[in-house]
Amino acid sequence: MPPQSRLRPALHWLALATGTLLAACSSSVIVESKFPSPLVEALPVKMGILIPEELYNYIYTEEIRDESLWTIALGDANVAMFKPLFAKMFQETHNVDSVPLADRGSLDGVLKPTIEKFEFDIPVNEKNKFVEVWIQYQLTLFEPDGNTVVAWPVSGYGKHELGHSKEDAVQRAAITAMREVGAAIATKFAQQPQVKNWLAEKQHGSTTGVGVATAKSEIVN
Amino acid sequence: MEPYKETDAVIGKGEQLVVLARKQHSNHEAEEGFVDCISEALARGDGRLEVHATKEFEDSMYPWFEPSTAPLSTDDLSRLLERPEVMQQVRKTGVRYVVWLDGSTDRVASGGGITCAAGIGGAGCMGLAWWEDDARYDATVWDINKVESAGTIHADVKGRSVMPAIIIPLPFIARPQAAACRGLTQQLKQFLTSPHGYGSGPEPGIG
Repeated sequence: MPPQSRLRPALHWLALATGTLLAACSSSVIVESKFPSPLVEALPVKMGILIPEELYNYIYTEEIRDESLWTIALGDANVAMFKPLFAKMFQETHNVDSVPLADRGSLDGVLKPTIEKFEFDIPVNEKNKFVEVWIQYQLTLFEPDGNTVVAWPVSGYGKHELGHSKEDAVQRAAITAMREVGAAIATKFAQQPQVKNWLAEKQHGSTTGVGVATAKSEIVN
Repeated sequence: MEPYKETDAVIGKGEQLVVLARKQHSNHEAEEGFVDCISEALARGDGRLEVHATKEFEDSMYPWFEPSTAPLSTDDLSRLLERPEVMQQVRKTGVRYVVWLDGSTDRVASGGGITCAAGIGGAGCMGLAWWEDDARYDATVWDINKVESAGTIHADVKGRSVMPAIIIPLPFIARPQAAACRGLTQQLKQFLTSPHGYGSGPEPGIG
């Protein structure tokens, strides 16, 4: 048997062993879920929805000491959460690519969600049996001309009992945290002072501009 | 088991109940497996009841029964039901009773140890390990029609498991969580089908 033929099986085994070793040192989670539509009365405005590329493709990576490299992909879940949420929150929604809008009379405003922070924690001792996830988004409401009405930070917290699979527990905790964010947005968006003023102006057909402001952070625990 | 029924409410034909876990605590919540155990057990056997699926209810009532938004008292429930879209959806689900589960099963003590070894002549284990689990749960029943708390059932079951090992480990596993599930189910069935109040248990913690 020529020397190269003898080497080939050994290389195959080496590749398999390396792959197994690498897989054992990393954990990956693709957060996937169907999110429900909220049971809320639609706000009487026509809203443009601007979902940035980084939200579609959001991947969080962290190397945990004594653990492994974690890769958590949230992109699809972000879109799956925001689309039904906004569709029910507003009388009409349209996807837009940018602000300011080319046709400023067509929509009342533009809403842009971005993800600001993602954190998670896996229990290391028997006393704590929950995996925890915290996610913070920023929801920015723009006038059609690009002026910012409000930049509202909104957070969600989720936990799930650690069972046989850490990855499964991280996924479920992330889904709970995202549902919490959706719940906070659906129930508290219209209560933000700047949003209240903006809604009142839209309903009265006023053209007065609203100053830029950053709303108080909403931490949902 | 300590049941305490405050009202004469009973579950009628066509009326459903839903079992939900209290999730506002940071350090514990009723395990998903325990909620499933109670839901499934209530829907089968003698005196089976009509049970609405937990996840379906939470999804159809979203965002009003999430950890941060779920009503913590019957006053909160009353305010929530003032929203016409929420009231309409609750009626659509057919759910009349919400059973809130609070508590958890925790390991409260453990000790001993088992050593195993293997050699050319054979393998085996030697030693004794033990552990004690405590399953403590409250089940609070809310009547959505009357917007009031119907009462509470408290369950506290301890179980000690032992595993001696002489060559091979011999497990004697106590299952306090399973016992709590059986006990609570039995009590809930009686609770929701008995037309009169009973018991002198503790005041309900919620509602």
